Amino acid sequence: MSTPAMQPTETRHRTGAIAARAINVVKTYGAGDTRVVALDNVTVDFPVGQFTAIMGPSGSGKSTLMHCIAGLDTVSDGRVLIGEVDLTTLKDKALTTLRRDKIGFIFQQFNLIPTLSAIENITLPSSLGGRKPDAEWLDMVIKTVGLGDRLKHRPSELSGGQQQRVAVARALAGQPEIIFADEPTGNLDSHAGAEILAFMRRAVAELGQTIVMVTHDPVAASYAGRVVFLADGKIVDEMLDPTPDRVLDRIKNLEA
Amino acid sequence: MFKTALKTVLARKLRLVSTAFAVVLGVAFMSGALVLTDTVGRSFDGLFADIFEDTDALVRSSAKLESNLENGERRPRIDAAVLATVEGADNVAKAVGFVQGYAQIVGKDGKQLGNPGAGAPTFGSSWIEDSQLNSFQLAEGIAPRGPDDVVIDKGSATKGKLVLGDKTNVLTAAGSIPVTIVGIAKFGTADSPLGASFAMFTTARAQEIVAEPGKFDSIIVRGNEGVGAQTVRDSISAVLPQGSEAVTGAQVTKENQNEIKKALAFFSTFLLIFAAIAVFVGGYIIYNTFSIIVAQRGREMALMRAIGASRKQVLGAVLIEALVVGLIAGIIGLVAGVGVAIGLKALMAALGIDIPAGSAVILPRTVIASIVVGVVVSLASAFFPARRASKVPPIAAMRSFAQDTSGRSLPRIITGVIVLGLSFASLANGLFGSGGNRLPAVGVGVLGTFVGVTILGPIIARRLSGFIGAALPRLRGMPGTLARENAMRNPKRTSTTAAALMIGVGLVGFITIFAASTKASINASLDKTFTGDFVIDASSAGSFGGLSPALTASLKKVPEVSAVSSARLLPVQMEGTNTLFAVDQSTWGDIVDVDIKSGTLAELSAVNTVAVHDEEAVKQGLKIGDTVETTFLNTGKTPLKVVAIFGDKDLAFSTYMVGLPTYDKNSAEKFDSLILINKVDTVSAADARAAVEKASAAYPLAELKDQSEYKETVAKEIDGFVNLVYALLALAVIIALFGIANALALSIFERTSELGLMRAVGMTRSQVRTMVRWESVIVALLGTLLGLTIGLFFGWALIQALKDEGINVLRIPVGQLALVTVVAAIAGVLAAIVPARRAAKLDILKAIATT
Repeated sequence: MSTPAMQPTETRHRTGAIAARAINVVKTYGAGDTRVVALDNVTVDFPVGQFTAIMGPSGSGKSTLMHCIAGLDTVSDGRVLIGEVDLTTLKDKALTTLRRDKIGFIFQQFNLIPTLSAIENITLPSSLGGRKPDAEWLDMVIKTVGLGDRLKHRPSELSGGQQQRVAVARALAGQPEIIFADEPTGNLDSHAGAEILAFMRRAVAELGQTIVMVTHDPVAASYAGRVVFLADGKIVDEMLDPTPDRVLDRIKNLEA
Repeated sequence: MFKTALKTVLARKLRLVSTAFAVVLGVAFMSGALVLTDTVGRSFDGLFADIFEDTDALVRSSAKLESNLENGERRPRIDAAVLATVEGADNVAKAVGFVQGYAQIVGKDGKQLGNPGAGAPTFGSSWIEDSQLNSFQLAEGIAPRGPDDVVIDKGSATKGKLVLGDKTNVLTAAGSIPVTIVGIAKFGTADSPLGASFAMFTTARAQEIVAEPGKFDSIIVRGNEGVGAQTVRDSISAVLPQGSEAVTGAQVTKENQNEIKKALAFFSTFLLIFAAIAVFVGGYIIYNTFSIIVAQRGREMALMRAIGASRKQVLGAVLIEALVVGLIAGIIGLVAGVGVAIGLKALMAALGIDIPAGSAVILPRTVIASIVVGVVVSLASAFFPARRASKVPPIAAMRSFAQDTSGRSLPRIITGVIVLGLSFASLANGLFGSGGNRLPAVGVGVLGTFVGVTILGPIIARRLSGFIGAALPRLRGMPGTLARENAMRNPKRTSTTAAALMIGVGLVGFITIFAASTKASINASLDKTFTGDFVIDASSAGSFGGLSPALTASLKKVPEVSAVSSARLLPVQMEGTNTLFAVDQSTWGDIVDVDIKSGTLAELSAVNTVAVHDEEAVKQGLKIGDTVETTFLNTGKTPLKVVAIFGDKDLAFSTYMVGLPTYDKNSAEKFDSLILINKVDTVSAADARAAVEKASAAYPLAELKDQSEYKETVAKEIDGFVNLVYALLALAVIIALFGIANALALSIFERTSELGLMRAVGMTRSQVRTMVRWESVIVALLGTLLGLTIGLFFGWALIQALKDEGINVLRIPVGQLALVTVVAAIAGVLAAIVPARRAAKLDILKAIATT
């Protein structure tokens, strides 16, 4: 890790680079009569330095899509690329290492290990890899999410909002190629939720991070630069520079 | 409610079985011990019934002694002339004099058959010349006629590859006797009675070589047809001389059966103690499992309470689960017990103790005991967790997570300290108190100490686990850190899980320390008292017979030998003992430091004199010139005059010592048990040894040992016992390991979402396994640490109590205890295999979806 802290930020701003990509991804469950198609030939790109929201009614396959692209789930057909790496060719160990080193995660709940302090949670992926995170970068991340004085606290001693900020910091700390967030504000009140979303937007704008967020909340989606709409396992629409009202309209149309 | 509870139980079949398993092992061991002893008991009952089936009456000496040497009563022999009297009595159809003693047949390969020291006995006896009275029937050949003729049992013939006409030897206390096999006999349908070997001679020859000429052990009588046994007995009684008595065959059968029952009761108590330990540990596992289950189901319970279930119903629901577990455990344990009985028999055989047994005997008592123990232990162990469950407030259903804070509460500390205090008091009373059977007090103290430490465990478990795992973060990185944190996060669970292992390890540690201390104490005093160069003993002959005095006489003629002294043991009845130690008073002091306090050994040359150990003398207030009332087998009540007081306790096998003249006056036997030899200073040890071996070659029973070999023999005896105890304690340790595996599995289930998260953010499967494995190792080491501490305490306490018995050196075998620790750590790794695999295989998506 001799790379200077801010360098990845600059390289990621190369226009046209793709952080993650799904090509003709099919995901089915069961077989025969009980066969359910969760993802039906989905192709989608997530460019470097972009904040993308995935939206859709429940059962649309938005979480499944995220799980498949993030290497948490396998696909039935098609290919998934993180950078240049085809996830569908990887075995569990390589996939795990890839998640550890190249992907950041923010979940809706249970984001933190209760036995570890905030700072230990933030550096968990790198310590699992037996590495020390880049100190300068880490400092900046911690400052950005504003946790300076609570670093030694355990999750149970933090508020829900603080816990999610720790989760965001963990996702950012390893300078991953892409961060996946699954309803990151689902368990928070609107104030704390707005705070978290603002952090995520800053991470994209100022640090050049790439984020993919699954949400059903139009307000949350409006923080993204781009919204991808999913219905019945297919990508049905896309919107750039969304506002809550426009997103809400589109959703109503989808459900209609 | 009942249905709901039952459904809950059945929905978690796997956990049910794994929980029940903890008790199954203990119950199985218990029922196994019962089945084994019942089976052996029935075999012996049958044996004695067969032997005396056609015996109407038996005539024997009316004098008797309870003896340690033979584990039962002993009677002197009766005069052979009594036979004629008995033959002349009314209603007697046939009367036969009988003698029996130690004899060992030499097989075709030149090795003696059987191991009477630790297995079925090997007998030499007279051949009974009456097909009805004799329990043996000739299968081939003829009855013995001449002095060299012998009939052997078919079992020995097969084992020794001996056939009719073979010439071989029979080892007896009188030496090695050359014989010709003239007959091979079967015992009913069996080749030999419960594995015992028999060499049967003509009556006259048997008297010479295994007993005493002109004497019989007993006379067995067959009455006239149609006359009842009691009538036969009465008509014999009417003519018998003073000092002899007649009893019916049925009574002798009964007496023999009772004798065996007593011995078996001791054996079965010994085994049942270990079964109790195993059941006790099983109870811990049940307690722990139910505690965890109840904690995990807290919300479910609260919900039941919220929708209207009463406290009693919640309590009942948990107890029903425990009842089912107990029933399953009891039934499976009972069935498995039959297997255990076979295993125990094999274990004993492996350790050199052969127990005869027929087909398994399962008494109703065994069935009831197994099921009752299974159910009671499960219910009792689950009671406290169940009560805790019933106390869950309905509002807890709305709360996200209830933290159990009882781990460090003040009442816990107070309860723990009180329990420990009472246990120590009971232990002290048992160890240092006086009178009565103090073993139960010791048992209560030991179990109470374990319980007390278990209660206090959660208070120290967090810090101790952290200490044990201190190096883990550096050794194993993040998985190591997490393992340590996981072990520390729930001190109550960790300490209860560890406590189950603590019990087994504590007892292993104790017995290890005690054995090492005993050996060290004996060695230290042997160094002091035994200044001789060689010992000859006849331990392989078991408690029978010994060495012919001719051996001592011939050793005295060996030029390489400077001093020889022999010693004998004699059954007696005296205040404080039933074994009398006899020595060659003129030479014993040359070789042994007897530590004479007053008087001299030489004065034992007068008939009916005795030397007394100083502690016994103080106890009874005996001084030189006082008399000690003694009952001998052959001569009855005889007062012995005290001529010396001595202090040695290690080479004197009794608190009383007499000289050979007193021995010869009062005993019919003339055998040495122990011969001590000093070599001439200028002769090398090897040369002296060769010379002594040559002189004793004609006495196959004689085992020559130098000082260090003798110490080894003593150490080996202790090790043999310790190994048996280790093997029996292994069960408690294995149960505890299942407990660790069970607790880990439940913890992993509880931490599903956490594991999912860790896997998602990059923990590899092997890191998950590492994490679980090291948590297990920490728990195992915690239990070991606590156990060894307690073991050390017990060892110290017992040695304080036995100081006066000559065990006064506390030896802590660091190497062995370190080995115990390493084994425990490895066991921790083994216990983690299944839970770790399960944790590693966790479906990440399902895990992160679980809350």
